[in-house]
Amino acid sequence: MNFLPLWRYQNQLIDGAIVTLELTVISALAGLVIGIAGAVALKGRITPLRWLVRGYIELFRNTPSLIQIFIVFFVLPSFGLKLPAFEAACVALSLYFGAYSVEIIRAGLDSIPRSQIEAGQCLGLSGWQVFRHIILPPALRNAYPAVTSQFVLLLLGTSLASQVATDELFHVAGFIESRTYRSFEVYAVICAVYFAMAMSFKALFAIISLAAFRWPRRR
Amino acid sequence: MALVEIRDVHKTFGKVEVLKGVSLDVEEGEIVTIIGRSGSGKSTLLRCINALESVDTGEIRVEGQKVHAKMPDLKKFRQRVGIVFQAFNLFPHLKVERNITLAPLLTGRIDKAKARALAEDVLTRVGLADKIDAWPEQLSGGQQQRVAIARCLAMAPHLMLFDEVTSALDPELVGEVLKVMEAMAKQGMTMILVTHEMGFARNVANRIVFMHQGRVWEQGPPAKLFANPETPELASFIASAK
Repeated sequence: MNFLPLWRYQNQLIDGAIVTLELTVISALAGLVIGIAGAVALKGRITPLRWLVRGYIELFRNTPSLIQIFIVFFVLPSFGLKLPAFEAACVALSLYFGAYSVEIIRAGLDSIPRSQIEAGQCLGLSGWQVFRHIILPPALRNAYPAVTSQFVLLLLGTSLASQVATDELFHVAGFIESRTYRSFEVYAVICAVYFAMAMSFKALFAIISLAAFRWPRRR
Repeated sequence: MALVEIRDVHKTFGKVEVLKGVSLDVEEGEIVTIIGRSGSGKSTLLRCINALESVDTGEIRVEGQKVHAKMPDLKKFRQRVGIVFQAFNLFPHLKVERNITLAPLLTGRIDKAKARALAEDVLTRVGLADKIDAWPEQLSGGQQQRVAIARCLAMAPHLMLFDEVTSALDPELVGEVLKVMEAMAKQGMTMILVTHEMGFARNVANRIVFMHQGRVWEQGPPAKLFANPETPELASFIASAK
């Protein structure tokens, strides 16, 4: 076992980790927007839209995300949509994360009792105001644990983007391995980096939760 | 013209006809208490008055305006008609102050600078000025219900509806809520209450409405109704409520 040959690749490793973080955070934010919009559509009255969202969820939750990335990167160009590897991976991973988020956030919205909505309506608030101020904050709190664990899965799943030559951590590892033939050492190191990133996010989410959800839980 | 005019209202849930032709007038400043057994349609009637339920046939007018779920200015209408629920329905994620000021701010009734003063004012009226910065979960049931009343008062409603507001409270907490309602009654607020509190019905209300099987079975001033019920149904209800 010899980790020394890896030392000269530290800049590549750091760059790879940054790309992994970028992929994760961008896809998570975009996916969250998709999740909220999709959940609202699922609870809405427009039937074709509900079918569309339902179809989207089933499609993305029941197919390999690797193939989703391939389709965005290799297949969409023949329909005139040509994206660079990083952007293609972002789009595919956003849609993947979004599909899970819709269901998680819908469950969160469903957890808000009807009486809360009525109380808001009875004060003369509009549908949007009731949603934004009365339903959404407690719904997000209820959905938060599931969203954050999905986020960690997304972080680990970004390694799939290596297959379309995105310069993220796993792709960099393959490159270093081909130069040094130190398979065990390389993968041990990036495994540790993934682990450290995941644990750091968990700590960050715990802090965010303390700051954002300050109201006491129902007894 | 009465403040609330209810004309031959029918309402069906599935196959159950809950309201079978209810007519009722409530004058401005009047305190009307609706009593009756569970399932007699009293809560449904109350919910129809602010369009939480829509009526099948017949009509309800408040301040001359016809009430239904699709009325064009439903939001404005609901700002004038407050309702307090059995389960308080405070917003758990907002402190007491924000619970009260949310709707006045969002509907443009007041601006930010006056919000806290408004909250202090209405909380003083329900005797909870010191709880302005508390979370709802930190309050007792009776205190939560008083905050819910204060939240309605902040909208300066013309009419207040109370749907069994003391039914979910421990017996020792009922009094503080009734006291607040009594004070509001004295200040001339028009109030329609559904309640099981016969003492309150007897002492504070101008009129008792006894509902039975989806109809207004009997109504009149409390002294007369409690002393000389005309129908055997009311007589047996009064006997069982004691």
